[in-house]
Amino acid sequence: MTPSNPNLETTIDDFAPLAAEQRRQQLSRPSLSYWQDAWIRLRANRRAILSLYIVIALLLFTLLGPLLWRVDPSAQDLDQVSRPPGAERMITLAAPYRSWNGEAVLPTATGLRLAYPASTQSVRLIWDPAPGAAAYRVYRNIVPTLPGESLGLPIAQTLTGTETRYEDRLDLRAETYFYTVVALDETGAELTARQALSVDPVAVITVAEARSRGLQSASGPLKIGDKVRFKLHPLGTDYLGRDMLARLMHGARVSLFIGIVAPLLFVGFGVAYGSMAGFLGGRVDQIMMRFADFVIALPFLLFMILFKIAFGIGPGQSGILPMIVALVMLSWPGTARLVRGQILQVREEGYVNAARLLGARTNYLVMRHMIPNTMGVILVTLTFAVPSAIFTEAFLSFIGMGVAPPTPSWGGMSNEGIKSMLIHPHELLFPAVLISITVLAFNLLGDGLRDALDAKMRSRE
Amino acid sequence: MNGPPGVQDGFARSAGRQLLLIAVVSVVGIALLMFGLSWLSGGARISKGIDAATGTVTLALADEPPQLDSTRSTDTISGMVLGHVTEGLIRNGDGGKLLPGVAERWEITETGATFWLRPDARWSDGKPVTAHDFVFAWRKTVDPKTASEYATIFFAIRNAEAINKGQMPLTSLGVQALGDHVLRVELIRPIPYFDKLMVFKSFNPIREDFFNATNGRYGADADTLLYNGPFKITRWVHGAHLRMEKNETYWDKARVKVNVLDFPYFSSDPNALINLYKDGKIAVAGLNQENLNEALVKRWQINRFQRGSVAYMEFNHRKGRPTANLHLRKAIQLVVDPDEVVYRVIKLPGNLPGRSLFPVWLDGVEGKFREEYPAKKIVPDPIEARRQLALAKKELGLNKIPPLTMLSDDGALGDKLTEYFQETLRRELGLEIRIDKQIFKQRLAKMTAGDFDVVLAGWNPDYPDPLTFADLFASWNSNNRGRYNNPKLDQLVAVAQNSTDVQTRMDAFGEIQRILIEDPPMVPTYEPGVVFVVDPRLKGVVRRVAGSDPDYTNVSIVEK
Repeated sequence: MTPSNPNLETTIDDFAPLAAEQRRQQLSRPSLSYWQDAWIRLRANRRAILSLYIVIALLLFTLLGPLLWRVDPSAQDLDQVSRPPGAERMITLAAPYRSWNGEAVLPTATGLRLAYPASTQSVRLIWDPAPGAAAYRVYRNIVPTLPGESLGLPIAQTLTGTETRYEDRLDLRAETYFYTVVALDETGAELTARQALSVDPVAVITVAEARSRGLQSASGPLKIGDKVRFKLHPLGTDYLGRDMLARLMHGARVSLFIGIVAPLLFVGFGVAYGSMAGFLGGRVDQIMMRFADFVIALPFLLFMILFKIAFGIGPGQSGILPMIVALVMLSWPGTARLVRGQILQVREEGYVNAARLLGARTNYLVMRHMIPNTMGVILVTLTFAVPSAIFTEAFLSFIGMGVAPPTPSWGGMSNEGIKSMLIHPHELLFPAVLISITVLAFNLLGDGLRDALDAKMRSRE
Repeated sequence: MNGPPGVQDGFARSAGRQLLLIAVVSVVGIALLMFGLSWLSGGARISKGIDAATGTVTLALADEPPQLDSTRSTDTISGMVLGHVTEGLIRNGDGGKLLPGVAERWEITETGATFWLRPDARWSDGKPVTAHDFVFAWRKTVDPKTASEYATIFFAIRNAEAINKGQMPLTSLGVQALGDHVLRVELIRPIPYFDKLMVFKSFNPIREDFFNATNGRYGADADTLLYNGPFKITRWVHGAHLRMEKNETYWDKARVKVNVLDFPYFSSDPNALINLYKDGKIAVAGLNQENLNEALVKRWQINRFQRGSVAYMEFNHRKGRPTANLHLRKAIQLVVDPDEVVYRVIKLPGNLPGRSLFPVWLDGVEGKFREEYPAKKIVPDPIEARRQLALAKKELGLNKIPPLTMLSDDGALGDKLTEYFQETLRRELGLEIRIDKQIFKQRLAKMTAGDFDVVLAGWNPDYPDPLTFADLFASWNSNNRGRYNNPKLDQLVAVAQNSTDVQTRMDAFGEIQRILIEDPPMVPTYEPGVVFVVDPRLKGVVRRVAGSDPDYTNVSIVEK
């Protein structure tokens, strides 16, 4: 007996076919390509986006900057050496320098006195002869001289005791100087007789110098006694009076050029090499990777020098090409290793085997399955290679192996700036900060890209 | 994403806290370790600039001396060390005076010189310094096998030149020992400055048996050198440390007032040295333009010293070099402004604008040479310079002067000067200058090979006579590295070399000075000077134009 179930009574209607129904898979959200997805994730990363803006700003600074700020980066102005940003720019026009024969235009007085009004062109001092003096030593100080303390800088010494004048032209600035003249005896020992004077030179420049710098006066043609304004240097000037802003803009060109071209080349080569080794596998892989290990062991600096010689780069010429060649020839194994590892992994995936069974060719396999699946790794190495290449360039220029003067570069500017770090910090600060910001921005951008492009490698936010 | 956000945040926070803790602990740990190690080593390595209790003065050397064999030494650092640990026949006194050294007295005539050596002069192993030691050293220097760069300085001595060319045996050199304590020198031409020459390191004695026992390593280490000077080297760690102690066998040891001169730092970095001085670790340090103001504000005792050398731009006269053209050289001469170089670029007191190959301190007939024979001042004139440049282009048959290589070394002024010249020549004459910066040794090698168009060179005097500068551009001089050849100048140098009459000699030098300005084989740029600070407790540091500089042999420590 079978138990009966009244609800399962079947009728003939149950066997009638249903109406055809269109029920396909439906997308619940808009379709996103790999890149769109990556972009959304990147946008969500505030640090990466900020870095991206910084990188764009740097590119604009380098490429558009020199078009807007048309100052020759190698033009020197010895009247404005090592000026910090926002230094006093007013200057008085004066007659050209003429040598001095000891005459005085200022009323005579006693003691140490000025023969002419003091200017940054020259300070002309006359003093009274001291009894028993065989020579005089002139000191200059920038702080008031205290009794028993140092008299300052021994700026000159006369050859005889009859010479009672001295003209100071050494690096005069518009600040107060305290001069002291000390008489010396026959043996060169200092006598007690000393005369002192404080002097405030006026900042001056000759009319011809003003004209050659293209300075203009508010009241028509330039004439002696006029006050004019020096050209603006927003970031100050360096040790030869060159405009820092223009030098930074031009210096970035070299840095960014090498920082972008070299990584593109060596990452490209590394990808080709690594994917070939990984795809072919076996003995070929072994040989290729041992060769890569060998290249890693080669010293970069030595090769850089060798290439410089091999390329016939003479002294005083910029070694940009050998630098790129050395970077490309010695930096690719890192990328090659990473890509090979990825390819080895992807090669054994089910979908690759399926594609192969379906008759896919090698080309198709590599281009369609292997490379796209390693794209994350490739892009990440690329973004990390950029800052390291920029840093290498800066380092090489810092040790004097990179670009030759007068071409500015951030590394070279830092090298010169470090010498006067304590008194003119702006000369070191600006290039060093720019190097740091650039390297940091590229690194953070690379970090963000890694998170965005490669879900597997994503770090936790 | 796994797990609710709250759990993850908590995890991140605690992980962050742990990381921070590790960072802090490791930084503190490393700091403690450093202090601990420093304390364990007794802090002894942290030297004091002046230690009155032990009579020690700590100083820095710009670099390690390459070697201390006086027959081969050419650099100023080994010259300075040799000046402290060895002594020649005559030594330098104060104010350019000469004092007896190993020689008690001497007699110099037009045909020769005789030196009577003091019997109490001793080597550091106790044996006496004899006339034979001088004969050996001098023969060694002119020996062609030694290949000494200073052999030419001996050429006034009989047969020296022939021996140096390998044409005569060493024993034929015109110097002989008449017994242990009399040295007789034969001269082929009178030398008015022969006594001043005797101070030079190449004339110092070397003892033959000791030299031979070192198997060619003479002067390479502290124990392969014999000392007869005020000090002896007791420790020489290559590249790190050199220590001199008072030499008890020195005949005049009473004048040595300190026990130890210690050089634990080899550095030419002015900032590093000034920091050491600031920390009280060294007693003397040079100042550069960058830390001048700091020294003034700190009210340090600043000293100034004129080196006595000249710095100049030298041209290459070899065939095919554009600088062989007179008009190009004149054009460059007319835009170089020594005033601007010194007052606006170098900016250090002590440096003087260069006007002549002959520096201001040289003596003339009665007064100073430069006052009796003033050098014509070249006033910068860009218009005339461009006219000369056009003439040069016409003569060379060029539309544009090819890029010129400017050779320089990594001296204290860094790239300032080369970049200044590069820009000045570009701005005023449109010349393209390629800077070839080398280390000093390499700069000399490249100069010798003629691998330059223009070189920023200089010359330190070997003895206080204008001749040390005047023969630089003589065609036979191996230091004439630009191969300048002017028979007229050669003839004038020969006149000055062969005469003892002051007026004749000075007239010849005056004429040489005129030729050097009118037919410029070189353009003087500046006369280098130095500014340095000395610990106020250290007295008696002497700077010298010729000879060992700086001279610490007479220093004493004065407690305030």
